[in-house]
Amino acid sequence: FPNSMPTYKLTYFDTQGFAEVSRQLFILSDTPFEDNRIRYTESPFGKMPVLEVDGQPLSQSFAIARFLANKFGYAGRTEWEQAWVDALGDQFKDYLNEFLPFFRIAFGTANGDLEEMRKSEGEPIRDKFFGFLEKQAKSNGSNGFLVGDSLTWIDLVVADHMGVVEFHLPRFLDSFPEVQRVRRQVIETPKIKEWLERRPKRQY
Amino acid sequence: MPTYKLSYFEGQGLGEVSRQLLHLSETPFEDDRISQEDWPKRKDSMPFAKLPVLFVDGKPLPQSLAIARYLANQFGFAGKTPFESAWVDALGDQFKDYFSEMVPYFMALGGDNEEEKSRLQLEVAEPAINKFFSILEKRAKDNGSNGHFVGDSLTWIDIHISDHMGVGEKYFPNAYAAFPTVLALREGTVSLPKLKEWIEKRPVTPY
Repeated sequence: FPNSMPTYKLTYFDTQGFAEVSRQLFILSDTPFEDNRIRYTESPFGKMPVLEVDGQPLSQSFAIARFLANKFGYAGRTEWEQAWVDALGDQFKDYLNEFLPFFRIAFGTANGDLEEMRKSEGEPIRDKFFGFLEKQAKSNGSNGFLVGDSLTWIDLVVADHMGVVEFHLPRFLDSFPEVQRVRRQVIETPKIKEWLERRPKRQY
Repeated sequence: MPTYKLSYFEGQGLGEVSRQLLHLSETPFEDDRISQEDWPKRKDSMPFAKLPVLFVDGKPLPQSLAIARYLANQFGFAGKTPFESAWVDALGDQFKDYFSEMVPYFMALGGDNEEEKSRLQLEVAEPAINKFFSILEKRAKDNGSNGHFVGDSLTWIDIHISDHMGVGEKYFPNAYAAFPTVLALREGTVSLPKLKEWIEKRPVTPY
């Protein structure tokens, strides 16, 4: 790529979803980007988000997030930290796959017995993953970051997800104080705070 | 040099890509293969109660793709530019999505209900393979049919896909017949001398 700043276009649905972490990386780094919110586009893997860098496409939300985080300094300070950010990201994905059947009932896009599913699936699945996060946040020094001593993209992913969960299930994540500390750190970061106030308000 | 230990089950699965990165780079490591019988005892010592886990000087790193990427970065198999590395990552994540879709089929393969295996091969495996391998075929062609999915040198995604295909063919012969560029890429990868040597002597396992 040429030395001048590339042009960035991020294409996704008009929701937070899997693109929000990348939007927030642009916001944090004061990098202009086209926040293209649409229902469908041609893309390398037939899915969104897609990031175009000087017109060249890149698929897969975490490949995009890691690429931007590496560029803007939110990937972790050492190779080991970066690897742990990646590991937590993939563990988040595994958790989300397990959690979504219950969560879709909670936000109304699937039918089911919410209370029953909450007890049999929602809570145990939550406890397993957020238990890992709580342990990680503590062993990282309870400093408001999941990895290392500065903001990384996994902090953004977890904080955004927590916002969506609590919107639909108030107090559902109350028992994880260290993770709540990470979330507060993210949402009080000035550029994120300002973005959260002005971004389109969506349910997920 | 750090000491490396890779803990995984006895098969290829999601751990083999990292074993191969270590062999390709001639990096000594402990190939810690955990049997199904021993796994319950070892589970709690793994950060997310899953395998594989890489231990570097005794410090653990979980999650197969994080491990593969970390080792690839150490040894020069992660792509030559940030954008190339991102494409390797994207293909790795797409592989994971495909792998998740295949799970019902893999579970049936582990049992002995032949009807179920046939049904799931038709209803689950074929569509998932067609979808993912069409992406791979196009990718390999767009990349110049040069024996790599990304750039012009070996990356961990070449290794991971090639290994997976070897397992797939044990249960579903000619599964990838419609994807000649990918087949050629696999042949090139498994013929690399250090990989060929490892593949010939490694334990033979069901997956």
